[in-house]
Amino acid sequence: MSPVRAELRKLLGLPTAWVGLVLGTLTAPVVLLLNAPYTRRAIAAGTLTDTSDLGLRDLGIGLIGPIVLGVIVVSSEYTSTGQDAPGARQLTATLAAVPDRLRLLVAKATALVLVVAAQAAVTTAATLTLTQVLYGEHAPAPAPARVVAAILYWTLTALLAYAIALISRNGIVPLTLLIINSSVVSVSYLLTKVTDLASYLPDIVGAQMFIGSADFPVEIAPVTAGLVMTAWVIALLVVGAVLFERRDV
Amino acid sequence: MITIDRISKTKSRTQILHEVTFEARPGRVTGFLGPNGAGKTSTLRILLGLDRPQSGTALICGRRYQKLDRPLLTVGALLDGSGAHRARTARAHLRWVAASNGLPDSRADEVLEVVGLTGDARKRAGRFSLGMSRRLGLATALLGDPAVLVLDEPVNGLDPAGIRWMREFLRDSAAQGRTVLLSSHLMGELAETADDVIVIDKGRIVIQGGLADVIGDHRTLEDAFFELTATEAGGPW
Repeated sequence: MSPVRAELRKLLGLPTAWVGLVLGTLTAPVVLLLNAPYTRRAIAAGTLTDTSDLGLRDLGIGLIGPIVLGVIVVSSEYTSTGQDAPGARQLTATLAAVPDRLRLLVAKATALVLVVAAQAAVTTAATLTLTQVLYGEHAPAPAPARVVAAILYWTLTALLAYAIALISRNGIVPLTLLIINSSVVSVSYLLTKVTDLASYLPDIVGAQMFIGSADFPVEIAPVTAGLVMTAWVIALLVVGAVLFERRDV
Repeated sequence: MITIDRISKTKSRTQILHEVTFEARPGRVTGFLGPNGAGKTSTLRILLGLDRPQSGTALICGRRYQKLDRPLLTVGALLDGSGAHRARTARAHLRWVAASNGLPDSRADEVLEVVGLTGDARKRAGRFSLGMSRRLGLATALLGDPAVLVLDEPVNGLDPAGIRWMREFLRDSAAQGRTVLLSSHLMGELAETADDVIVIDKGRIVIQGGLADVIGDHRTLEDAFFELTATEAGGPW
């Protein structure tokens, strides 16, 4: 338990972690609010008839939170600790304290899951409550299973970011890759226009865990989507763990 | 007790350590001496489980570092820098390290006092001077009150008062029965501090023994060092 406690402290002691926590928690509700006038008009005009995804649909934009958290759990270990000693990194202190590398990775993943699951629960609750307030009877409350799936998707995305950061050993590559893909231009989504196989990329398949109708080229059942997403995460975590175990620090 | 037994290491196809073998005993300060790039840090990193050797074993109290359950209670290590993320305060850094080995938060302030950083407890590590970083690194090493200290170039970046303080601290630690292994390229400094000396050059141990034995017929440790390493290099310096 001690390593998990230490990892929770380390994570929550980083200013960047709080950027991820605040951004991730607030973005989805804020976007929902900003979209409200447009959505209301669409409902009134009858152009938006399927309202079952209202609220849940906006959760995707908040993924920046779990992505940042997942990445910095690793990248903060590799950041140089000062100009005096360019090669010096926190990882030295970390491995001196917990030299069993697998145990360390499990502790890090556990701390990350605890923080992100809590964040996801708060954000999902806030977003869905806001949806009820804004749209009332137009927005039926989603089934509990979909809410749980949304929280699970956030957590799996954080672990995916964690695994990619473990492989790349820095923050820039995974942050650029994942944030651009989840907010600016979804390369995965563009790929689905080319091949149906792209529907099984983590961010496309993961969304189908809790978003029903939407415009996915290949419809995948929520449970199948969850299993595919989990498989991605496990595969990348295994690669990251093997590399971390073998590399010299 | 530290036992290094026939450690060899190859990095980018160059062999950087050749069957390095030595011991550091309790109650003594063991100086690990060699020019930059001789293999001192590589050896210490293998000892601490950070890097892996191609062959050989490095044991602390008879066990590999990776097999120690709460290692900070056995070994205190000081490598490059402080090991603290620059956004963290000195106290926050020490507290997470303490927590990882089941030590209470109160240890953080205790070790800060030992190294004279009490007034800087709330300062972020990124704003520390080189000397302060070394002190913070040493404070981290002392958290678990370990019986073994492994220090890489501990006086680097310290001012004269800091060097003197470190020397006395290391002597006291050995006097209390601790095993103290420190690397240095500063011969004068080691001659003041060490009981035993191990000289490494180009990844090979060239001599080891008590300080007086290593100096032998030479005037100083420095003379002995240049004689030994120049012989290895096959010519005068």
